[in-house]
Amino acid sequence: MWDSFRISASALTAQRLRMDVIASNIANAETTRAQYADGRWVPYQRKMVVMEPSPAKPSFSAILDQAVHNSVGQGVRVTRIVHDTEPFKRVYNPTHPDADQDGYVLMPNVDLLKEQVDLLGATRSYEANVTALNAAKSMFIKALEIGK
Amino acid sequence: MVFETRALSLLERSLDAAALRQKVIANNIANVDTPNYKRSDVRFEELLRQELDGKRKSIVGYRTDPRHIPIGRRPGGTVSLPQVVTDNSTTFNHNGNNVDIEYEMALLAQNQLRYNLLIDRTNGYFKNLRTAIDRR
Repeated sequence: MWDSFRISASALTAQRLRMDVIASNIANAETTRAQYADGRWVPYQRKMVVMEPSPAKPSFSAILDQAVHNSVGQGVRVTRIVHDTEPFKRVYNPTHPDADQDGYVLMPNVDLLKEQVDLLGATRSYEANVTALNAAKSMFIKALEIGK
Repeated sequence: MVFETRALSLLERSLDAAALRQKVIANNIANVDTPNYKRSDVRFEELLRQELDGKRKSIVGYRTDPRHIPIGRRPGGTVSLPQVVTDNSTTFNHNGNNVDIEYEMALLAQNQLRYNLLIDRTNGYFKNLRTAIDRR
């Protein structure tokens, strides 16, 4: 039963991190000076999280369970945060301090619409996991009633 | 022995299965956004039905020592163990994930109700036992 709590909690953490990354993307949607490389400013690059299922703990009982076909995963985890390699947007704006000789500015490859949709998805997943957590909680409380 | 009746061991195994299913569903919901994740499910009720109908033919490990790990059946009882099965056959999402969130939420609610029902029945069992002991 405790595993169930831990599984849902791992998902809440992962979805929360996803939301944080989306917030960072939205906040930096106009950031043209994310890092200085080779004598010029490089715009902010969109970030994404990579999720994978948490493997069962490498304990004897977990391996035995697996052998007796009763293994259950341990939730989800974020393995790394990757940069989106989509090309930067080129916007014509000659008065911008970071404009090149032709008057074009490189803008971050953040698509606000995409971020909004991702945020909505992350919120819904978060809520679903809260529901699962509450279900586990009420089952646990119910189990304490046995024999009362 | 009065405490080792089939009814109680059935309830106990069913509760174990429901708790395991809760874990499996929680894991499915946790991995709803994980690429290439395949959902799992718990097979228990149909195994139990087959068992009660006497149709189940499973390999049962012969135990010469009570400390041996039981294969196929639990010690003392004849009720099947729940099995975790992974559904690899379907792809629901474009990223290879096959978790259908509505289905999982429905299963979650169903499993919770089943668990509550089983707890109620267990309590009923103990209540009857207590009535017998108290002679009231």
